[in-house]
Amino acid sequence: MSDRQLLHLLQLSNPMLPVGAYSYSEGLEYLVEQKIIGDREQLYSWLEQELRYGSIRTETAVMVRAYQSKRQEAREKEELIYWNEWFSAVRETKELRQQSWQMGQSLLKLLVSLEPDLAAIAKDIGNPCNYPIAFGIGAANWQIDIEATAIGYLQSWTTNLIGAGVKLIPLGQTTAQHILQDISAPLLMAKTKILTLTDEELGSCGWGLTIASMAHETQYTRLFRS
Amino acid sequence: MIALPQNSSWQGRLELVYENKGGSTQILRAFNQAPLKVQRPFYPEGKHICHTVSLHTAGGIVGGDRLIQSLQLNPKSRVLITTAAAAKIYGSNGKQGQQIITARVEDRAFLEWMPQSMIVFNGAIYRQEMRVELADHAGFFGWEILRFGRSARGEKFIRGEWRSHLEIWRNNKLLWCDRQWLPGCEETYTHPHSLGGYPVVGHLIWFGDLEIEKAIVSVNQLWTNNQRQGEAGVTQMQGNGLLCRYRGTSVTEVKNWFIQTWQFYRQSDFGEKAIAPRVWL
Repeated sequence: MSDRQLLHLLQLSNPMLPVGAYSYSEGLEYLVEQKIIGDREQLYSWLEQELRYGSIRTETAVMVRAYQSKRQEAREKEELIYWNEWFSAVRETKELRQQSWQMGQSLLKLLVSLEPDLAAIAKDIGNPCNYPIAFGIGAANWQIDIEATAIGYLQSWTTNLIGAGVKLIPLGQTTAQHILQDISAPLLMAKTKILTLTDEELGSCGWGLTIASMAHETQYTRLFRS
Repeated sequence: MIALPQNSSWQGRLELVYENKGGSTQILRAFNQAPLKVQRPFYPEGKHICHTVSLHTAGGIVGGDRLIQSLQLNPKSRVLITTAAAAKIYGSNGKQGQQIITARVEDRAFLEWMPQSMIVFNGAIYRQEMRVELADHAGFFGWEILRFGRSARGEKFIRGEWRSHLEIWRNNKLLWCDRQWLPGCEETYTHPHSLGGYPVVGHLIWFGDLEIEKAIVSVNQLWTNNQRQGEAGVTQMQGNGLLCRYRGTSVTEVKNWFIQTWQFYRQSDFGEKAIAPRVWL
């Protein structure tokens, strides 16, 4: 990977990316309120289960498919539209779907602003655009290596949820860095697995996340949007 | 009587076509191949709703079995499908058991898909695919209730693999795609992220003529009105669909909630009082 590609990857996976990721907890707010997650170990364990069996696998696999579609010029448009619609249908709850749509639309708009050539494909996809679709388009456009892109995607997801945990549980900043360091082994295993998943294998073990997210939709006091 | 397969595994089929004949829903064509069968249709709610009970005459699904069901509801027909008994998915010899279900629901036709629960034995390897295609004003109300492991005798689902894929399409647009996967192991059985130690799960989906926000509040209330053992929630799918999920310890608990939701659905979409099939009792 060239220095320039590395910089693009860092830009895409940076928490400063203006897509509002910090306002989503993906059910953690409810899980903390219910005392299912209350310390460093429990947060780590939840993230580890997500990486092994959860919906982040499917989400990242869709990002990989968007990336590959973007690089197949002949069927680029059809494939991107297909996976975008597929992911809208597969998101478990209304809140999670709206999260992906809001973040995806923000990222797509940003990408078009940075790379005006992407305007045509952005128009073809239209609104809503899911976050993994926009991310895959950006990475493919900048020709970032796919394995590195998958690591970046998973790392920014993990960082964001650890950030939510820091505010909700709460945890100290050093503890957060420990979780981030400890999660690297399951994260890299998930990356390797995700890159080999066939379309038929896409699926997740989602009762915990779905029920938490459904409950969050009617939670009385909320800091987060999911 | 228990039927026996010709070879080592079953290739069962069930094909049903329904039509509305002067306000009465009738089976226009039926084809079945063992071990799948249907009982004679009955009409406890009047001629307009055909109740159909399907049964598996071999007792359960083993690895290598492949059961295919296809349903076609012609315009303005109304069908309630259930099963005669709980389904069993036995521990596998290494091969996958499969069930593939497709349903095509035409304009102003309504399908209610409400099978009895399914028990997935420890070690089972099973894959189910269901695809529902809805025309413009067609409706679908369906559920699935599963018990992982014969928990009454202390069995846990810690070996094997279960998958259930469900797709709902309306006018060739994919509205809902459920990709449920449970690889059997100690951590997916116990961790709050997966089953959380609960052996029973269920989901219910409702695509009809509903005011979605109000319906979500009402169906949530049907859950919270009673003292509950398990955990559950309700949310909105694309295309104004309503989704419920449950995990807990009791088939009866989830079934009662789903039946109440079904009664609410009948009241809300049709202004009718629902009469439950006798096989549920």
